[in-house]
Amino acid sequence: MIDRRLFRPAAKPPPEQQDWPTFRGAINEAMREEMRRDPYVFQMGEDIALAPPFGVTAGLVKEFGVERIRDMPCSEAAVVGAACGAAMGGMRPIVEFQFGDFLSVAIDQLTHQAAMLRYLTGGQVKVPLVIRLPCGGGQGAGSQHSQTLYSWFAHVPGIKVALPATSMEAKGLMKSAIRDDNPVLFFEHKGLYRTRWPVTEAYQDPDFLVPFGQALVRRTGDDITVVATLAMVHYAMQAAEELAGQGISVEVIDPRTLAPLDADTIIDSVRKTGRLLVVDEAYLTCGIQGEIMARVTESAFEALKRPPRRLGNPGVPVPFEPSLEDTVLPTKDKIAAAIREMTG
Amino acid sequence: MSDTDLKLDMLRKMLMVRHLENAWGDAYLNEEIGGIPPALSTGQEAVSVGACLALEDGDYVFTTHRGQAPQVARGLDPNRIMAELYCRLPGYNKGKSYHVTDFDRGVVGMGGIVAGQVPVAGGMALAQKLKGTDRVSICFFGDGASNEGVVHETANLASIWDLPLIMICENNGYCISLPVSREINTAHIADRAAAYGIPGVVVDGNDPVAVHQAVSEAVRRARSGGGASLIEAETTRMGGHLAHDPQRYRPREEIEAARAACPIKRFSARLQEEGLLTADGFSAMEAEVVREIEAAVAFARQAPTPPAAEAFEDLWA
Repeated sequence: MIDRRLFRPAAKPPPEQQDWPTFRGAINEAMREEMRRDPYVFQMGEDIALAPPFGVTAGLVKEFGVERIRDMPCSEAAVVGAACGAAMGGMRPIVEFQFGDFLSVAIDQLTHQAAMLRYLTGGQVKVPLVIRLPCGGGQGAGSQHSQTLYSWFAHVPGIKVALPATSMEAKGLMKSAIRDDNPVLFFEHKGLYRTRWPVTEAYQDPDFLVPFGQALVRRTGDDITVVATLAMVHYAMQAAEELAGQGISVEVIDPRTLAPLDADTIIDSVRKTGRLLVVDEAYLTCGIQGEIMARVTESAFEALKRPPRRLGNPGVPVPFEPSLEDTVLPTKDKIAAAIREMTG
Repeated sequence: MSDTDLKLDMLRKMLMVRHLENAWGDAYLNEEIGGIPPALSTGQEAVSVGACLALEDGDYVFTTHRGQAPQVARGLDPNRIMAELYCRLPGYNKGKSYHVTDFDRGVVGMGGIVAGQVPVAGGMALAQKLKGTDRVSICFFGDGASNEGVVHETANLASIWDLPLIMICENNGYCISLPVSREINTAHIADRAAAYGIPGVVVDGNDPVAVHQAVSEAVRRARSGGGASLIEAETTRMGGHLAHDPQRYRPREEIEAARAACPIKRFSARLQEEGLLTADGFSAMEAEVVREIEAAVAFARQAPTPPAAEAFEDLWA
């Protein structure tokens, strides 16, 4: 369900999954289709042409060449700035970061230039760019390679934030991101890259788009609303399945984008269930979990039967050692325990 | 344009920058406008004027916080520049920002973050290269900005990718109060070009003709696929960092010497020596510029401020 051996050779998929697209394959396909459709789409990233670290851009250089699948030196700040300038000049850049944490060195170019220039120029420019950010814990990748820092960026105006959880979203949200005329951060959980997911027929449609700002109710239930993102969606689904056998009915909502956030779907659900648990790997302090809780309590305080709760990293760097990593980050069991407490 | 016409245009544009900025500075000092005090390029006019006159339609310039000179030099409408600086609705950015931009004419106003414009200009140069045009981009930045990491990263990118980018370092001798001798330990900022593998030259930034020649050569090289250049224009800040700055950190004699060496006086005298202009001709030219700026101030004063709803516009495309 979540790959914890990312840096080891891939295991053979179970027979029933063999025809399902992998999460990373879905991103690759989305980019390939959009690059075929639109000659202005191009990519920049470290090692993306010949040695993509997680294989997401594999094979693209063969079809599109080194001008459009452009290897970059270790200059994240200048490359994000260059993506901003190229976008203003009519291109549609996609930038891959080797680890999303590295966006810390390019924050100014993203938040003050790419995200603000439209506003500062009175609407004279547009900045359509996508930054792909491998993120999340569970692989023992260490504190500076395991964070989910979208709260930093959902905090500021002018940036859209996409959080895909299965191959359907990986493809559909990526195609929407590339076609969007604004800066989009696309967070890819490393534990999902090699996972496989069933898809519907719509997946094959060259214009298959998952719209931004539309949450998905992944499981309906009556007793509690669990909002979860990225890999946590799958832990929440497992916990919900487990608790169904014990008579607890859990509704699981995947927001799919944090900016824009479909608060209405979450609020409607809480009005039905009366309970809210938000699960995300982000640091809890000023994290996205608190923002979702605030939106719900502002609008539906009277519907709450229990105080809302949040699970996340309580506020230490994501540890390198695997058992400590599990101590810090939410797991299926922690989610199940929280649900039991809240519904008991 | 003939050589004579070019020189007269340079002088006229330098005068336009000077008087536009004086009017803006006065508007701040007499409390007609508020906010962050104006960053004036008094004494540095020749850099932008010489550089921008080497460009053609479709080329781009990315300005600094001290950015009015390139706007004037690229022929933007003084009424709309002044309206923007007065925060009025007919301003280029609807009166909502200090960063006067006319994207259609290739002027992008930046500079709220020192050196932030440099990689963005590199990206515009990349877009032109990928689209197969021969258009070039100029980014202006100061001696202070030259020490920011993105300048080095961008120079390296521009070198390895052969970007049509002209990086113009406007060395005015001071990073606010810090003299350049205390921020840099080499003789010239342009010396760094060798480390990036691009041509680097130092020019007299108070001579618009010298700047024009150096930039023209860099532009020719960039248009023909020869890649990026670094030009250091040595110039002088006659005024303070911002309009309200009394410059107590600077020796009196130095300020007086800078004022005496005013590039407008110098260039006017040169054109008179070359027989291209009379003293009366200069006075007439200046009087006409003054009238134009007075009209721009009058235009800005009567223009409305942006309505409240504008605060929420122009965030998303």
